[in-house]
Amino acid sequence: MKKLYSNKLVILSLVFPGLLVFVFAILAPIILSVYYGFTEYSGMGTATFIGLENYKTLFHDKAFGRSLLNSLLLAIGFICIQHPIAIVVAAVLDKLQGKAEGFFRCIYFIPNVISVAVIAYLWKFIYNPDFGLLNNILHIFGVQEKINWFSADLAIWSVLIVLIWHGFGWGMLIYYTGIKNIDPVLYEAASIDGADAKTTFFRITLPLMKPVIQVNVTMAVISALKQMETVYLLTNGGPGNRTQFAANYLYQQAFKAFKYGYGNAIGVVFIIICLIITVGLNTLFADREKKA
Amino acid sequence: MKKKVLSLIMATTMVAGLVTGCGDSSKTASNNSSADTAAVDTSSADNTAEADTSSADNTTGDNAATESTEDITIKLFSNLPDRKNGQGLVEQMIIDEYMDANPNVSIEVEALDEEAYKTKFKAYAMDGMPDVVSIWGQPSFLDEVLDAGVLAELNESDYADYGFVSGSLEGFKRDDKLYGLPRNTDIMLFYYNQKMFEDNGWTIPSTYDELLSLADTINAAGITPVAMDGADGWVLACYLEDLLTKVNGDCRGIISDAVSNGDFSNPVFAEATQILVDSAAAGLFQTGYDSQDYGTAMNLFTNGQAAMFYMGSWEASMALNEDIPEEIRTNIRAFTMPVVKDGVGTATDIAAWNGGGYAVSATSEVKDEAIKFLNFMYQNDKLSKYGWENGVGMSAQDQSAYMTGNETELQLQILDILNGASSVSGTPINDCGPSAFKTSIETEIQSVANGTESVEDFLSTIGQSCK
Repeated sequence: MKKLYSNKLVILSLVFPGLLVFVFAILAPIILSVYYGFTEYSGMGTATFIGLENYKTLFHDKAFGRSLLNSLLLAIGFICIQHPIAIVVAAVLDKLQGKAEGFFRCIYFIPNVISVAVIAYLWKFIYNPDFGLLNNILHIFGVQEKINWFSADLAIWSVLIVLIWHGFGWGMLIYYTGIKNIDPVLYEAASIDGADAKTTFFRITLPLMKPVIQVNVTMAVISALKQMETVYLLTNGGPGNRTQFAANYLYQQAFKAFKYGYGNAIGVVFIIICLIITVGLNTLFADREKKA
Repeated sequence: MKKKVLSLIMATTMVAGLVTGCGDSSKTASNNSSADTAAVDTSSADNTAEADTSSADNTTGDNAATESTEDITIKLFSNLPDRKNGQGLVEQMIIDEYMDANPNVSIEVEALDEEAYKTKFKAYAMDGMPDVVSIWGQPSFLDEVLDAGVLAELNESDYADYGFVSGSLEGFKRDDKLYGLPRNTDIMLFYYNQKMFEDNGWTIPSTYDELLSLADTINAAGITPVAMDGADGWVLACYLEDLLTKVNGDCRGIISDAVSNGDFSNPVFAEATQILVDSAAAGLFQTGYDSQDYGTAMNLFTNGQAAMFYMGSWEASMALNEDIPEEIRTNIRAFTMPVVKDGVGTATDIAAWNGGGYAVSATSEVKDEAIKFLNFMYQNDKLSKYGWENGVGMSAQDQSAYMTGNETELQLQILDILNGASSVSGTPINDCGPSAFKTSIETEIQSVANGTESVEDFLSTIGQSCK
């Protein structure tokens, strides 16, 4: 068997399909994207080379700026709201044991199982000012005003709530798995030493969860940046560009405005930002690990 | 030896995997298209089967039509995915009729809704178009398509007897050459609930100020005055077009100049936009109109929660839609945009145009048959007649001969509006420029209407998008 794996033909046959997929499905489109980013191209006819013009326009594009700001807000929302709650819920679930543990684990994960399209339309109806659930509930508590949850000022917060709620299950599940991997002996020892639940959580659970938190935070930031489908179905970036996100803006420019060149330029900047953030986060966490 | 055999097996598996993965592109494409057209496949497959059977009969029988026994398949790419109602039904009826009359021809339909249609249309433009396609005779769509040279030129003189409404072919021409034929005449209307108006003692506004004060009265009664699809942007743009027509009369020249120069500083634009902004601020539309889509807005009206609904004449079939409660359905009437104070446009200068239509691919292998089918669709007793009978709005052809006496009140009213029009606006403003302009105005108009952007910034931004 060892001899078999040292046969170059076998190695090639195993690596080649993967390599081919990587080259044609990932590398070539990225290279083409970089090329088309320097062109003016409507998707029909020929592409005209215009140098850095698309990138110059992009850096002055308010809608693109707004979409990056919204991605940042979402990332902060994920890190500061979704994840702390997810860690606490995961820790509580772990302590529940028995049937209740399985039941609540299922309940919290349900939003992730439902299709994005259903989620978006569900929330559209919940937020509707005329017949939405939210306004009807508020009406019971004496709020007579029809609140427009997708108004220019509120829309981004309404969208963030949906996105944070929808992604909660995944975050929680990963933290839950992390907690399950912590050796129970540590908790027993802590309890013998007289540590209460709070101390156990901050002194044992949280420090041992560090690698899981790092992975989850990186994934949250990336998913905030590439947010597309929920926003597309919920508001399509509107009203105006108030709830615009980079991936949705890219789609609009490339496939509705038929500015393929510009769309590709957005794609290239988008990849660069994602790379910088991933490398930045990894460096940050690596430094901390060294210090620790 | 064992090692060599294993190596050979693995290499063979790899090659087989690649071959399977690559496959035959034409087969893949046809599989995709069949998935896309799931909604229409049944009828079209039935028809194809019928056509094939009769074709076989013809070849074995003693028929005289020997000249056209060669089997021909026409691919039709349509933006009407609903084949059971409205215009999709009309289109399908004509297809069925054509295949019955020409047993050797089968027509394969691929239908997608508008946005997906336009995206795939561009992909087809690169890779080879279906034979007959839906198009829009508006610069935002047609300019790039004609630049790419994918549409076949039609002989205008062939259509002299087809009864096209005067000027309706203009949007489908370039350099005096005709590339497509219009299907509809679209008019923007305020649909209203006549019974609700009568019960409350409300009257049809004849001026814009009356419309705004009527809106106050309706709001005070706890009802939404006008249901507006603001999420899509294009309806607000049509509203702006309507206002421009009332402010300045014919605006074709100033819009065309503004788009070509990227300069919307003409005060007419600011005046009309300001009226839109003031109307939204005064509560003419429902709360959150700028984020509510077509269906939601229409439901508000058809459920009796809104007194009026601003939309095009293609929704005249509401009067025949049995999903709408009878009490509302039978009481739907329409009026056009009232005149604005000090405006040049009169009550009979209306926002109307000939938008959607059909064209034939320049590279079609069955171009002659495709044009023959196109001409069949536009015969005087086809699109116009069936469209009128099914209440799907106004045709781009003279349809006065098809009055059945069973028309709904709403149909007759819309016919009167069109016949009484002293001028029509032509292509709405959002479709007068390139796609980038269309995307920009349809996004920015939400911001200006809800007051988060000033009128000056709005006009400057849409001007920039033209450059």
